[in-house]
Amino acid sequence: MKTTLIAFLKGAWLGPVKTTLVALLGGALSLGQLPFSRMPRFSGTLEQPVTMNHKIHAGDYQMPCLYCHANARRSTVAGIPSVQFCMGCHKITGLALPTVQKLKGYWDRKEPIPWVKVFYQPDFVHFSHVAHVRVGVTCQTCHGPVQTMDRFPNRVFITMDQCVACHRQQQASIDCVMCHK
Amino acid sequence: MEVNRRDFLKVLGIGGAATLTSCSAQPPEKLIPYLIPVEEIIPGKATWYATVCRECPAGCGMLVRTLEGRAVKVEGNPDHPVNRGRLCARGQASLQGLYNPDRIRQPLLKDASGSFKSVSWEEAEAWLAGRLAELRQRGKGSGIAWLTPHTTGTLDQLIDRWLQALGSKRRLRYEPFAYEPIKSANRLAFGLEAIPTYDLESSEVIIAFGSDFLETWISPVMYAREFAAMRTYEHGRMGRLIFIGPRLSLTAANADQWVSVPPGTEGVVALGMVRVIVTEGLSKAVPKGKVDSIKSVVNRYTPQFVSKATGVEPEQLERLARRFAQANPGLALGGGTAVSGQEATSTLVAVNLLNYVTGNVGETVLFGPLSTLSRLSTYREMVALIAAMQRGQVSSLFFSEVNPAFTLPKAAGFEQALEKVPLVVSCSSFMDETTAKANLVLPTHTPLESWGDHEPWEGMHGLMQPAMQPVFQTRSLGDLLLSLAKRLGDAPAAVFKEENFYEFLRARWRELHQRVRPDVEFEAFWVEALRRGGEFKELPARRVRLNVGALPQALKGLELPGQAGSLILLPYPSINHFDGRGANKSWLQELPDPMTQLTWDSWLEVHPEDAKRLAIGEGDLVVVKSSHGEIKLPAHLYPGLKRGVVAVPIGQGHTAYGRYADPHHPNALDTRVKERGANPLTLLAPEPDSRSGGLLWLSARVTLTKTGTKYLLASVSGSDRQHNRGIAQVIPLEEITRGGQEAGHPTKKDHPVRQMYPPHEHPIYRWGMVIDLNSCIGCSACVVACYAENNVPVVGKEEVARGREASWIRIERFAEGPPDRPETRFLPMLCQHCDAAPCEPVCPVYATVHNSEGLNIQVYNRCVGTRYCSNNCPYMVRRFNWFTYEWPEPLHLQLNPDVTVREKGVMEKCTFCLQRITDGKARAKEEGRPVRDGEIVPACAQACPTRAIVFGDLKDPESEVSRLSRSPRRYRIFEQLNTQPAITYLKKIVPGPKEI
Repeated sequence: MKTTLIAFLKGAWLGPVKTTLVALLGGALSLGQLPFSRMPRFSGTLEQPVTMNHKIHAGDYQMPCLYCHANARRSTVAGIPSVQFCMGCHKITGLALPTVQKLKGYWDRKEPIPWVKVFYQPDFVHFSHVAHVRVGVTCQTCHGPVQTMDRFPNRVFITMDQCVACHRQQQASIDCVMCHK
Repeated sequence: MEVNRRDFLKVLGIGGAATLTSCSAQPPEKLIPYLIPVEEIIPGKATWYATVCRECPAGCGMLVRTLEGRAVKVEGNPDHPVNRGRLCARGQASLQGLYNPDRIRQPLLKDASGSFKSVSWEEAEAWLAGRLAELRQRGKGSGIAWLTPHTTGTLDQLIDRWLQALGSKRRLRYEPFAYEPIKSANRLAFGLEAIPTYDLESSEVIIAFGSDFLETWISPVMYAREFAAMRTYEHGRMGRLIFIGPRLSLTAANADQWVSVPPGTEGVVALGMVRVIVTEGLSKAVPKGKVDSIKSVVNRYTPQFVSKATGVEPEQLERLARRFAQANPGLALGGGTAVSGQEATSTLVAVNLLNYVTGNVGETVLFGPLSTLSRLSTYREMVALIAAMQRGQVSSLFFSEVNPAFTLPKAAGFEQALEKVPLVVSCSSFMDETTAKANLVLPTHTPLESWGDHEPWEGMHGLMQPAMQPVFQTRSLGDLLLSLAKRLGDAPAAVFKEENFYEFLRARWRELHQRVRPDVEFEAFWVEALRRGGEFKELPARRVRLNVGALPQALKGLELPGQAGSLILLPYPSINHFDGRGANKSWLQELPDPMTQLTWDSWLEVHPEDAKRLAIGEGDLVVVKSSHGEIKLPAHLYPGLKRGVVAVPIGQGHTAYGRYADPHHPNALDTRVKERGANPLTLLAPEPDSRSGGLLWLSARVTLTKTGTKYLLASVSGSDRQHNRGIAQVIPLEEITRGGQEAGHPTKKDHPVRQMYPPHEHPIYRWGMVIDLNSCIGCSACVVACYAENNVPVVGKEEVARGREASWIRIERFAEGPPDRPETRFLPMLCQHCDAAPCEPVCPVYATVHNSEGLNIQVYNRCVGTRYCSNNCPYMVRRFNWFTYEWPEPLHLQLNPDVTVREKGVMEKCTFCLQRITDGKARAKEEGRPVRDGEIVPACAQACPTRAIVFGDLKDPESEVSRLSRSPRRYRIFEQLNTQPAITYLKKIVPGPKEI
């Protein structure tokens, strides 16, 4: 009985089926070792409530990143500009455009815009924007060439290897507790 | 079957990919910006607001750290004269009151069936205004009564004026601990019915007759700081404390000598000392005529008489008296539940006399600034109110933040009398026993959400401001009263010009401004007061004279000591729960009582000899019965008691008040354990003390009956004794003085350092800590501060019983010497951040490593939970997350976003508040300078009222921590294990055998 089973497993018959079964078993086993087990898993495309176009703002009009995301030079959190801030220009500029009308709608209804988060780091990583802005790291280093993007393609996981590579190169600290507190 | 390695890994990889794609999608996170940003908030940076802590009447100044409009941590306000920047455990736990999951969230109206239903504020106010108008029409306005806790300043005035506008004068400021005997004793002796300022800091010898001033008595944070200051060894001298009383409380444990006497005989000791002082001519600043009168009053209290009554040996009494008389200056303190029997007033008159003959009155006992606790109503007034309620003279009872159904003796009949009151309105935040009996509940803001002011001592006006928007749909009490007055129209509406309480507060502060700073603009004065936390003025002391003629009458009742026979019950205020108000906060429940090291419970302390006689063992559930009631409590053998006295901490035994206080609550943390101690106040006699009007705390004589069942007591202590491990060490005073202050211990040599690995390099900073055991009083403020700062979970009684409490810092309590006269030592124990840490080499995944600044760091996401590191740690400071602990909403709002919240399977421990270190370094970098000494303060060091914990850079030879770590009293714990800790402890200084 035992030898027949082993022979069956070793044999070529139903090879692909056996491989798939073992793959699923392996998958089940590796479930526990998944990295970022608390990270959200996504599917589908990224749909923002208001299709804000960074190419126009940061690219064509050459607005500096820190003009809107001002807290990046003050605090650990860069933040998203408030609706009032957007309306600062848009109560006059581009009012005919349907996107700007949508933005105005939020302002009139006194509703903050529920932006969809694009750049992710796990909960146990403490990243400080001001520390990086202060030493001259450009926003594009981690966020990519935002001034060329009509819209963000998908969610981006900024992973530790990227951080450590740059830290090593720039001779910044690679102490674990720089980021993991 | 044979699989080669490549194929095996391929299978795993494919399998992993398979599960990735097959996993269900989670919705993406949202980023919600401000609609209109708040000017003073930068997301990610904290904004601090100054306010006043109202967890007890002491009124310490508080700074609240808020992040994005959420209060996450409270600390003391350095500018406030009461606490000077520090806070006690209860103050730290005030956040759990603000975010308590069982807070009343909107108004509740009791319907005909007797259950509460939620109503809107509009409905509730309209209903109440209608009922009040009706009462006034029927001429019952004078029957409206208001019960508040100790309230001063603007709100106090508002409530008084509101009542008056409605035609009533029935106002009581009710605190269970109202210090009536102190007031009556001062009235008899000095003609002033008030509580004075006690200058502990300047005193050389303090004798405490039962007053637990390091725990709950009057102003514990202030006295703790002053006590530590007077005990600092400086210029050849060091202050001393002697405690006289029947129980070894926390305060007594910090004394150099505990003189154990039967309860009620403390006054006899005091008079014995007075007699020695006046007959030996040691009195100070007393006119000759008075000395002779005093001699005749105290003549019968010879050392032999005192010895017979109290058990204090004649030589001991004489030595004590002479030492106290020589003190330059001395201070005798008296008061507290331990001395509040029939002899309370006489005892405190005796203490006053002792202070008088040694010249302390006007030196260390100062009648100015007076404590505003002097304005509290007496227990007798409460009894009168109950009688009025019983007779139907109280048409309506309003109360806020008091719980007389819990804190009054059952026999006083408060609950029965309450049924006779047609309209009972509660303005409290929690559904406690008294609020449960109300007809209408109008939940008001907690102090952290309120405007207001509080004046704990005359001239010290602390200003309160909201630290955040209200969490629930509660309202400010002041706003509510003003709105009701307006609805009632005519006279009540005319009394108040202001629309809301904020304007009312500012109007009163305009008056203050005119009195103290008319030279500046009011707005500038107001903003400065908000920034500083108040307006503080030092008021001078009044001069008083001793009324010698009144003494014989005043000292009556001290002739006879307590009778032998049945056991005397001593209920004592708990440092965790005060009078029971802290019981709904999980941090305070999980905080071990410093003296018994028990959590989540109350217990009956019995002397081991008494227990043996009654055949009661540790943990036996006994019925404690007095002539007024009975309760069931577990017995705890406690040698720090006089024979014939049993003690019970006050604060547990709630039958309502939320999931942490009430073990039968549907959301209680422990599912199997359904006991949480009992309330000893139910056993007391209802009659007030005839002389002071206070509650007779020692009025219950009890019998104990075994039930035969055992009770689970969750203790965190492994052993009461050190068994020669040398953990908490002491140094006799003589050794310090022998070679002068700078000389070290003659044979003191630091332990040789031997290392297997190359030494760590610390290029810039090396963080270290010094803990002075001479200053640590065991109050455990550091423990609760750490819970608040580092998102430490609360595990519940069952888990604590398994040894799984999560506290990163704990207070260890060791006893040395004979069991009934122990020398108690307190030791804060936390991760020692060892240079040669035993936990680091054994981690299989490098989750715990040493960093370049001398810290032993724990990387949570790497940890796989082998727990080998915890096994290897000789200090037992590593804590494992056995479960993913929950923070029931809205307690999760308190979580500090700068610290990771750990989940199941991860090891954690003290990090020296790494988030504060990083923050401090970032600020220094911003300003282009190195970190200054004293700039980075971990939460424990920040909270400590006695400044026992000092943190800083060991690489800087001038930093305070470096300086202290060179002290002759230095030692490290378990030095012989060669762990090379970064924490240096300073030995506690004890008096030699020749002292006292």
